[in-house]
Amino acid sequence: MIRTELKRGTAELAVLSVLEQGPLHGYEIGRRIEERSGGTLHYTLAALYPLLYRMEHRGWLRGDWETGDSGKRRRCYRLLPRGRKMLKPMRAEWADLFRALRRVAKVTHA
Amino acid sequence: MPDWRAYVRQNLGPLRLDRQEVSDISEELAGHLEQLSEELVAGGFSEAEAALRTRAMAGDWQVLRQEVVSAKRERTMSQRVKQIWLPSLVTLFISWGILALLIGARIQPLTWHVNKPPAVILYIPWLVLLPSIGAAGGYLSRRAQARGWRVYLAGTFPALAIGCVFLIVLPFRVFVDPYVVHDFEFVGMMAMTLSWVLLPGVALCIGVALEGMRKLPTATKN
Repeated sequence: MIRTELKRGTAELAVLSVLEQGPLHGYEIGRRIEERSGGTLHYTLAALYPLLYRMEHRGWLRGDWETGDSGKRRRCYRLLPRGRKMLKPMRAEWADLFRALRRVAKVTHA
Repeated sequence: MPDWRAYVRQNLGPLRLDRQEVSDISEELAGHLEQLSEELVAGGFSEAEAALRTRAMAGDWQVLRQEVVSAKRERTMSQRVKQIWLPSLVTLFISWGILALLIGARIQPLTWHVNKPPAVILYIPWLVLLPSIGAAGGYLSRRAQARGWRVYLAGTFPALAIGCVFLIVLPFRVFVDPYVVHDFEFVGMMAMTLSWVLLPGVALCIGVALEGMRKLPTATKN
């Protein structure tokens, strides 16, 4: 299991990446990240929602209340152009970091 | 099925945020927990077991509370800057800039002597322009999603700022400075308040009110 501090740094990229495919509710965002990471990345409420609020405030995504078929209201987050623009440099940054770690710490893919 | 909204409210405790914001946060978090619990039940857990696991998976509520408040405060502070302080500074600089230009161009004001030297001083071109400046401040504030008193504060800031200066100076002149003749100063201050605070304030207010009647393109509903 990855430590909390390390996971926190990855969260922004993870959230932006899953929202790139389309709008999702907070729960679905967490679920999708967990599925795609094979269960390695799991964010608690305390990690996920404050991050979503911060990203919304930066104008990277937008949350809108929607009422589903069951009549329940859910807040649906969608990626905004500013957030989409952040994805490319963020991916490049993480790729650089992994390359550097590979060289320094001999980290390789499992 | 547990009442997740009540559970969230109980664990979050009182947040020092806007009431609507607290309600939205509680609803969103409760929705998350409810969905998680339903999924666990669908996966074969009993309701009681699913509720237990959901509670365990929620994480540290104290951290959540701190992080949510900090994230929302960040937003509130930046909103305050956009809704109040930036428009206020714009109206302040434009209005006093124009006044400085008029004085520099030696445009003579209308003066009405109340007493010997103290007078009501009216720069008519300035007063005529003030509603437009107030409207600009009101527009900038409304564009940043401000409503009510915030819009008026931003639009009338030049008059309010000078009013605050007078409020500080007046008691000093009346009660502290021993060399002034009180009646004379009081009348003078009243004349200056009328010239630089009340009349400009009314002119700015008219601008804000008229601009407020206009519909803005749209505001994003969260």
